[in-house]
Amino acid sequence: MKARMTIIIVVAVMIFCFSVVAGPHVINPFALDETSKEILFYIRVPRSIVAVLMGMALGASGAVLQGMLRNPLADPYILGISSGAALAAAVGILGGFSFLGTFTVPALSFAGAIITGSIVGIMAWKKGGLWPERLLLAGVGLSFLFSALLMLLMSLSSDDGLRKAMLWIFGDLSMSDWSKIPYGCFFVATGILVATMRAKALNALILGDEFAHSLGFAPHRERVLLFVSVALMTAASVSLGGMIGFIGLLVPHIVRFFLGSDSRLLIPAAALSGGALLCIADLISRTVMPPMELPAGVITAIIGAPYFLYLLRGKNVLSR
Amino acid sequence: MSFLDSPAILETEGISFSYGKESAFIENLSFTIGQGEFIGLLGANGSGKSTLLKLGSGILKPQSGEIMLWGKPFRSYKDRDRAKLISFLPQALDFSIPFTVRELVGMGIYPYDIPPLIGIDDALDMVGLGHLGDSHISDLSGGERRRAFIAMTLLQGAGLLLLDEPLANLDIKYQIELVRLLRRLRDERNISVVMALHDINVALRFEKVMVIKGGRILGIGSPAAVLTRPVIMEAFDVLVDIKNAGERDAYISFEENY
Repeated sequence: MKARMTIIIVVAVMIFCFSVVAGPHVINPFALDETSKEILFYIRVPRSIVAVLMGMALGASGAVLQGMLRNPLADPYILGISSGAALAAAVGILGGFSFLGTFTVPALSFAGAIITGSIVGIMAWKKGGLWPERLLLAGVGLSFLFSALLMLLMSLSSDDGLRKAMLWIFGDLSMSDWSKIPYGCFFVATGILVATMRAKALNALILGDEFAHSLGFAPHRERVLLFVSVALMTAASVSLGGMIGFIGLLVPHIVRFFLGSDSRLLIPAAALSGGALLCIADLISRTVMPPMELPAGVITAIIGAPYFLYLLRGKNVLSR
Repeated sequence: MSFLDSPAILETEGISFSYGKESAFIENLSFTIGQGEFIGLLGANGSGKSTLLKLGSGILKPQSGEIMLWGKPFRSYKDRDRAKLISFLPQALDFSIPFTVRELVGMGIYPYDIPPLIGIDDALDMVGLGHLGDSHISDLSGGERRRAFIAMTLLQGAGLLLLDEPLANLDIKYQIELVRLLRRLRDERNISVVMALHDINVALRFEKVMVIKGGRILGIGSPAAVLTRPVIMEAFDVLVDIKNAGERDAYISFEENY
């Protein structure tokens, strides 16, 4: 397992380095001219870092949520947090707000995500704890409500804002710059750290609250910690660049094929794999048809889903 | 109920418990579990078997009365320290995430910071699952799953196993195998085992049984002394007939329409 984890780390780092120099304009890192330097440090590096952060957050929070909700179909967007973020971002884009400059839309969507996460948490709270079924249902319910409001808002909007809002919702990394990276780093790293530190408790919780209790964990306290870590990661990820499908749902499953289900390995490995996948997807999205960019979320699903189905063939995962 | 020849591991002193606000489900209940005891907790559905085991494992807390663990109040233990002493097997575990047997057994060391005294492979061999370490738990049979859990408790090092209906949905052969395995581990490691049951014929094979109904104890002691016709009729609300076919081999037949 250690060898496989090492492979994942090495491959992820290689992909990151490659994505920085490759693209419509190939950069030779050993012979940098002024233009290349500009592109490298002001466009490519921040953009790849944002892609990695978003992908890491999605992979890790998917791994945590599937366990915490005991549902292999759970993904970070199921909690409604992303719908709240999208609604808030759309309000910002369509309303043309710019009170924080380029930071307005990320700030709005982060606020939307945190507020939605809090509502979900409050609605899932009963008898002194968070209950998995309630989290799932409250999340799905709010998700539908916010999606409906978002569609209503978009149907009433003009064409110009509409396209920008659509791009953002599909996942848009073209606006990435250094300004978003510190806060993104902070929340994603905090989330992954908290989740990895509580990975033993998560393993036990997956099998049941009473089982976790028998191993010395307080189920409700652990679930609150895990929920907060997932909410922070998801909020940070969505506010950095919108919604990216596939990673949160299927990357944890792919990693389980290779490393097993132990959350202590799964969470960091799913984070690295998610980051690497989004990095490749973003590289493809900006390279195939320049200067046009394809939505990165579409690419993750187009390359990820067939690979997942290929792996699924020979396995009896998800069997009961 | 304190004529024990072995030190008490778990003692309840007049505990009462109720779910919600209705009248107490368990009222003023006292009993003692000694080291090395092998106890069958017998009762009909809804008699309070699970509730009692959950009180004993600390999942539920009594509204009044005291539970003592190794002579000290239950409350005085940290969760992690309690987990080194008691292991509780719920009636059902969730297998929606595909853990392997080895991953499950390895969870037994979570309460500890030091490496376990026995390894995962030793524990698997002790319960006869040495060949299934890399299988997914969801692919195991019911009996194998319970044995995997028992292997985990060996790493956990718990001296008291509280098992909620571990024999449910097992064929009689596997029921006997599981009881024999637990008894062997008890003999080798001097642990105490309490398991909820609802099959009276299985209870007859235990050294000690405790029969409960409506949260009250109808009797504690050897099966011969406790599993009498009136006690069973009261516990299960059926007409029964006890047939003795030798000194310890009794079997019980039931008749409908009590």
